[in-house]
Amino acid sequence: MRKLALAAAVAASAIVLAGCSTPSGGDGEPAEIRVWLVGADTPQDARDYLIETFEEENPGSTLVIEEQQWTGLVDTLTTALSSSDSPDIVEVGNTQAPAFTSVGAFRDLSGIYEDLGGDDLLPGFVEAGSYEGTLYAAPYYSGARVVFYNTAQYAQAGVEVPATLDEYVANAGTIAEALPGVSGVYWPGQDWYNALPFIWENGGEVAVFDGGEWDAQFSSPESLAGLEQVAEVAASSTAPKDGDETDVWVPFREQQGATLSAPSWAYWSIIADADQAPTALTDTLGYYALPGKDGGAAQVFAGGSNIAISAKSAHPELAESALKIIFSDEYQGILAANGLVPAKTSLGGDVAAATPELAAIIADAAANAKLTPASPKWADVEAARLLQDFFVKIATGGDIEELATQLDLDIEDILNG
Amino acid sequence: MSQTARVRRRRDLTPLFLLIPAGVVLLALTAWPLIQLVVTSFLEFGRAQIFGAPPVFVGLDNYADVLTDAEFWQVLGRSVAFCLVNVLLTMLLGIAIGVLMTKLGGGFKLLVSVGLLLAWAMPPVTASVVWGWIFDTDRGVVNYLLTQITGADFSGHSWLIDPLSFFFVATIIVTWQAIPFVAFTVFAGLTQVPNEVLEAAEIDGATGWQRFRLIVLPYLRGVLVILLILQIIWDMRVFSQIYALQTVGGIAAETNTIGVYIFKVSIGAGDLGAGGAISVLLVILMLALSGYYIRSLLKQEES
Repeated sequence: MRKLALAAAVAASAIVLAGCSTPSGGDGEPAEIRVWLVGADTPQDARDYLIETFEEENPGSTLVIEEQQWTGLVDTLTTALSSSDSPDIVEVGNTQAPAFTSVGAFRDLSGIYEDLGGDDLLPGFVEAGSYEGTLYAAPYYSGARVVFYNTAQYAQAGVEVPATLDEYVANAGTIAEALPGVSGVYWPGQDWYNALPFIWENGGEVAVFDGGEWDAQFSSPESLAGLEQVAEVAASSTAPKDGDETDVWVPFREQQGATLSAPSWAYWSIIADADQAPTALTDTLGYYALPGKDGGAAQVFAGGSNIAISAKSAHPELAESALKIIFSDEYQGILAANGLVPAKTSLGGDVAAATPELAAIIADAAANAKLTPASPKWADVEAARLLQDFFVKIATGGDIEELATQLDLDIEDILNG
Repeated sequence: MSQTARVRRRRDLTPLFLLIPAGVVLLALTAWPLIQLVVTSFLEFGRAQIFGAPPVFVGLDNYADVLTDAEFWQVLGRSVAFCLVNVLLTMLLGIAIGVLMTKLGGGFKLLVSVGLLLAWAMPPVTASVVWGWIFDTDRGVVNYLLTQITGADFSGHSWLIDPLSFFFVATIIVTWQAIPFVAFTVFAGLTQVPNEVLEAAEIDGATGWQRFRLIVLPYLRGVLVILLILQIIWDMRVFSQIYALQTVGGIAAETNTIGVYIFKVSIGAGDLGAGGAISVLLVILMLALSGYYIRSLLKQEES
């Protein structure tokens, strides 16, 4: 009988153990909240400020920042936000936000909209973070892409700052030829963010909404002209053909490439290395906005992030309190001082104060920024890595028209599926 | 009621009670998720359903979609080929190292054991990232050494961009981590082979290879079949190594194995219904494979 009792006890405990996974907690009492920031974009000063201020304002509670990677973010968020162990606040790419706002993964922010800045928030990003008129994911920051160049290498190769996109493409080849081993434009094959402007400037589109469904446009004659230019620029690069844009400033500051198109805040990583020591580029760094087909600034990809509270957050009120700190002028000011375009348009001028030379260029680029198709399913296109695979194949010299035709089919499959 | 009948009835119930703990755990941890999986594979279950919308029953639609999708068959073929190569390599090298360990002296045996243990204890993602660095296009030590040794210029050579080359690297990682388990198990099995039999055979003039083939292998048969099944299952559903390596480089769509493909369909593209259908098909395939081997194993033990 003792054996039987033992067996019963083991069985009972197994049932109990299987059933006890409900998290405890609630509001009003001190707790720990978890904030997911993506990539290294958010400067350390801002992170410190957020943690200190939050812990001052909410005695006893703590805030932990967990850094996530851009690669596979949609997958990670889908799993994390639906689990019982969801992070409280998450950053999400602006083009990925609709995948989550449309399914109820985020908490309704209408109640604190005014506290976050109200009409002062970047309008395009508010739109990206809203679903059926309700704001779920507030703008976090925007980062325009700027072209950095090595003034010494440009002089050596005998090229000037290009006035048009065609000159930009031609320069890339000239530099690669004049300086063996140096990339005309340092171009990791996966980088689709930098490839889109070539399509837009040649009159192409990613996809258009027509007659109730999406029609992908990579194989249109205009887009193909842009893709030919992408292939030409990629051919001038010594970067890995299947590499991504993580830490691209490292090879650039080591003079492996004469030109680099990167988010404006990359400036700090170019003029100083990881130990804050000066680099080869400290005195020879120049910058310009990517030139358009007919001069002026090109239409570039509007990179940036939204930030939201998980619908499953165990401590929504603490999370709201943290979100208010993120949207304080102090926090947003730190973002601006580090070259990011802050979520509040009224602070846009502060970007200038941080890096005066860059300010005008950032403004030029941001003014002409464009987004990916406004479909909740666009995030699935990103998650399937269709564009990365496509541009890797272009960088390795694949047949552009054939690849583009297939890509259009694949994209339409997802957007209309 | 006679005394013997009562005893027999009590004896009949005890095994059942003893099965309860293990049964409950199995039900909770294995059967329940499996039932959920099968149910999901008949539903339209997307990101909206993950966050609470009611799912729609679609019958066999998910299965029809999956089975008519050319990509599924490509991925499956790729996985089977990858699995075969890896299982073969792992088993051959693992057995060889297991045999080697019986011949090694104290110091070297310890060295090999520690080396094997370290490889085995390393988390797969960590291992993949480190191997990814070793094969890095720009700064990888492999490219550096090849350039030094062969004289040809390997700097900037991408090891991951060509699918075949990608799987070459993946095979190194997977096999490298799987060998220790096989080697240790085989080594343990080898210590059970009676020495007298081997000595007798040696006196009768059997060569080393004959002794291994005709005496050691039959003794090890049970162990080897179990190892084989486990390796097939592990290599068929390989996930971490491929997924981690894809973040290092390569073309994702051309290097998906079935495990990674299920994840991408389910979580990446947010279609848990189709992902469920693929998973169920994989479960059936693996059950058929391992069922066959387990049955043949049981038959041999009976005879």
